[in-house]
Amino acid sequence: MKLNIDGLLVYFPYDYIYPEQYSYMLELKRTLDARGHGVLEMPSGTGKTISLLSLIVAYQKAFPLEVTKLIYCSRTVPEIEKVVEELRKLMEFYSKQTGESNNFLALALSSRKNLCVHPEVSSLRFGKEVDGKCHSLTASYIRAQRHSDPNMPVCRFYEEFDAVGRQVPLPAGIYNLDDLKDFGRRKGWCPYYLARYSILHANIVVYSYHYLLDPKIADLVSKELAKNSVVVFDEAHNIDNVCIDSMSVNITRRTLDRCQTNVDTLQNTIQKIKETDAAKLKEEYRRLVEGLKEANVARETDIYLSNPVLPDEILKEAVPGTIRTAEHFVGFLRRFMEYLKSRLRVQHVVQESTPQFLKDIFDKVCIDRKPLRFCAERLQSLLRTLEIADIADFSAVTLISNFATLVSTYSQGFTIIIEPFEDRTPTIANPVLHFSCMDPSIAIKPVFQRFQSVVITSGTLSPLDIYPKILDFRPVTMASFTMTLARTCLCPLIVGRGNDQVALSSKFETREDFAVIRNYGNLLLEMSAIVPDGIVAFFTSYVYMENIVASWYEQGILENIQRNKLIFIETPDAAETSMALEKYQEACENGRGAILLSVARGKVSEGIDFVHHFGRAVIMFGVPYVYTQSRILKARLEYLRDQFQIRENDFLTFDAMRHAAQCVGRAIRGKTDYGLMIFADKRYARADKRGKLPRWIQEHINDGSLNLTVDEAIQLSKHFLRQMAQPFRQEDQLGLSLLTLEQLESEEMLQKISQIAHQT
Amino acid sequence: MDEEPERAKRWEGGYERTWEVLKEDESGSLKATVEEILFQSKRKRVIESHGQVRLGMVSVSMEDHDLKPNRLTSTLKVDSAAQPSRCTPVGIITTKNKRAEKLTDLAGNPKKHIAALKKAVDTVCVGEPSLYNSLNLAIQTLKHMPGHTSREILIILSSLTTCDPANIYELIKTLKSLKVRVSVIGLSAEVRVCTVLTRETGGSYHVILDECHFKELLMLHVKPPPASSSSECSLIRMGFPQHTVASPTDQDAKPSFSMAHLDSSSGPGLSLGGYFCPQCHAKYTELPVECKVCGLTLVLAPHLARSFHHLFPLQAFIEGPVEELQEDRFCQACQGELKDKSIFTCPTCRGVFCVECDLFIHDSLHCCPCCIHSQSAP
Repeated sequence: MKLNIDGLLVYFPYDYIYPEQYSYMLELKRTLDARGHGVLEMPSGTGKTISLLSLIVAYQKAFPLEVTKLIYCSRTVPEIEKVVEELRKLMEFYSKQTGESNNFLALALSSRKNLCVHPEVSSLRFGKEVDGKCHSLTASYIRAQRHSDPNMPVCRFYEEFDAVGRQVPLPAGIYNLDDLKDFGRRKGWCPYYLARYSILHANIVVYSYHYLLDPKIADLVSKELAKNSVVVFDEAHNIDNVCIDSMSVNITRRTLDRCQTNVDTLQNTIQKIKETDAAKLKEEYRRLVEGLKEANVARETDIYLSNPVLPDEILKEAVPGTIRTAEHFVGFLRRFMEYLKSRLRVQHVVQESTPQFLKDIFDKVCIDRKPLRFCAERLQSLLRTLEIADIADFSAVTLISNFATLVSTYSQGFTIIIEPFEDRTPTIANPVLHFSCMDPSIAIKPVFQRFQSVVITSGTLSPLDIYPKILDFRPVTMASFTMTLARTCLCPLIVGRGNDQVALSSKFETREDFAVIRNYGNLLLEMSAIVPDGIVAFFTSYVYMENIVASWYEQGILENIQRNKLIFIETPDAAETSMALEKYQEACENGRGAILLSVARGKVSEGIDFVHHFGRAVIMFGVPYVYTQSRILKARLEYLRDQFQIRENDFLTFDAMRHAAQCVGRAIRGKTDYGLMIFADKRYARADKRGKLPRWIQEHINDGSLNLTVDEAIQLSKHFLRQMAQPFRQEDQLGLSLLTLEQLESEEMLQKISQIAHQT
Repeated sequence: MDEEPERAKRWEGGYERTWEVLKEDESGSLKATVEEILFQSKRKRVIESHGQVRLGMVSVSMEDHDLKPNRLTSTLKVDSAAQPSRCTPVGIITTKNKRAEKLTDLAGNPKKHIAALKKAVDTVCVGEPSLYNSLNLAIQTLKHMPGHTSREILIILSSLTTCDPANIYELIKTLKSLKVRVSVIGLSAEVRVCTVLTRETGGSYHVILDECHFKELLMLHVKPPPASSSSECSLIRMGFPQHTVASPTDQDAKPSFSMAHLDSSSGPGLSLGGYFCPQCHAKYTELPVECKVCGLTLVLAPHLARSFHHLFPLQAFIEGPVEELQEDRFCQACQGELKDKSIFTCPTCRGVFCVECDLFIHDSLHCCPCCIHSQSAP
């Protein structure tokens, strides 16, 4: 259908539209009009993706000069594929409606592992191996060597692409990963490099967060994307953690050992080259004296996305003399490594700021701040000069040099923690140096600065105002949308007491309490008897789950549960978990019924949807607070308090509630779906917890279901499940939660729609 | 049945929030929606009731734990209430403890089933039921039925789990190829495998809200399904025996055994009168039955008449808005004022009826009173 969104003609590829989608598009349009950033929360399963795509594509068509590109960032490969499929539908609708052929180029980009078509390289199992092998076939000096020695192995796909691929742009169309591969095979071009090259002129790019947030990758891939692009981060509730992870470095003894071998190899190669080809090293030296001027020019003309690892000041200066020659630099690395080794020989926990660390390193091994800052750049230059084929082997030394650059660049927002052992195994020495980023805004800042509109969206972003604070940006729109429903298909219940009136809680003091564990077991047992097919239960941590399950086993509760349903358990092992998941789904499918015990913040809670019968109920045992004794977390909380005036408790609750909302949100993946959401902890009833749940869940929690006993919850659930099992057809939704064009345009409906968005 | 199925007693109902029923429905309008849907399904049943006599089979699956103690009892009560109105062979299978057992064989006589079900009230249900086993058993029985019959399985499932020895989806394929229609009434919640089962075999799937709704759903299955075009037609020989009772004064009359009781140990043994097969003069005390001696189907005229209603059902009445009606708004049947927003018109005589009368006419009368009236009038 064709919609009129605030004066903009939007083609929407479906015959019906949800009211909240309309409202969402209105808000999005406002964001784009203002050329600002937006934070939008809309429940999952209400068609967020297609609303985003339809509006932004329409905007691109209407104002081709103002918005040239849409950069859509998602988390996983399946999600990326889903986005491309929606886009394909949209484009088909466009060409059907307008009658003209489509001149849009949209493509997905993923790692080499997912795109490689080279018969040998693509059969490798790990992403790193593929990258390394690919590099060893396609690096420029390898190819240069091939001119003299035609027997060198080479990737014919890359050669072909390099020879002709750049002259002809990729024909307009929608390409998912498989389409790219097919195209690549047909033409004999490397799909990965083709995609990387094509994103520069594509209208829509769909790829993973890391291509934009991780400075190491962003520098390679996203540097030259146009300034007037719209960036969308989907499923962005964890974006701060992604930012932090991309800037943090952990160094263990193993890293240093591997680094040692790397440095030795470097040394040997330098020796060899010196004997054979001394001119090459001279050439490099000359280049370094000239400085990184070229890069600086490029950045000033605003072609590049700035790289937070490589701050502007570095570019203006030449590489300092102490590390300019190759031998000196290797010696410098050795000294730095020895210093780190000595630091790891600690018996107690050390925490210090970056200036303290720099001072210490200067006192002990006389390393100045300045050469440290050039470490990463210098290493890259050296690796290029030495023509080392397999970069993958040098990850350790790259890591160390990145660390050196970061530690000397940022005096704020980072902390260094050296722990001699893990908390859980205090007797085994396993020293780790955590260089931890505490300020997610550092990694994301270039994105906000460079692109005109950045939209952060997810099903669970509540409370909205905290994201602009911790990411340090100013949104022009912040809105939370509710789900309009023809029937109340979600049933959140807060179970605060057992049948014996014992307060249920996972808080530390009552964690070992026998009565609480028994009552939790009782709750699961009784739910297993009344909920059909699948139940997913979330615990706060693996340790807690182990304790409880062991205790249930002793009390015979597990045996009783197994009479009703089979039990599957998530473990930290990915292979085991995916096996359990597969069997769980099979059990749900053939009517036996199953329970999946898993952990909030685990793999299951983040990426896996439990549609329809795969998740008729989600039980959240306890409030999933992050492990508060961790020093990294403590440092981060302190930083948040000092820098952003966010109280520790507020942040912890926020973090716990967003994970809880993520977990229970797994059950409802659309309007025809239904599911129970059971919060088994009396603390959920408190306003400060409840108020942080997304609005679409919050509005279905009525005062009566705040502090239920197990019995009462069972009774309510039974009733709910029977109501939901009554036949439900599309006609029942029409006019209420599903609109045709005429219904949408009625005065009364527009009135209603204006209430859906909740501005903050 | 003498006892009226009523809503469960307050104290048996468990924790309920009666005040929430009274909630105004501007926010979610859930109640209204559900009622609306129910109304529509009520209507649907009338529309679809044309077809032929079917052959049915009830498989009752119960489990004891977690259920209200009276759920089994109430099921059986409702169940037996539904049986007599069916004039087709029915068999009952129960499943418990991972096994399926035949409670009664396929037979047209309802009394035996009711007796068996009454006995079953006392059985304890233990262990998981097995959908696979009971379906398999049902297939064994239904497989040999002639082509003109429609084969149907009705499952009343209280459990939410099933313990199967093999992949049930294979069995569903077999059912589909044998053209067996499987319908399910769930007593607790919607189970995925039943949804697939019913969708694949063309049956219906319902979940009860309360006892009233349960009865309503069960009654829905009493009516035969629409005839499938693939079923064959064939002639069946039938006998219409007269009930003869020898007068007690007759000295020659001797009490004799009914043939039907030969194989069952229970029941009354000797009786004076009975139905005598017109072909071989075997005696039966109850009809309908298949003659044990010569294999003739013995029925009474009313039985056939009842089947006739199903074979040639009354056409569904046309639904229309009440505003269309120009004359006085009174139901032709009950003479009550038409208050609902829709009315129902007989396509033959244009008589106007209210919802309740429409249901009554189609469920019980099987003929339009106005049509009859106009016929009898000269």
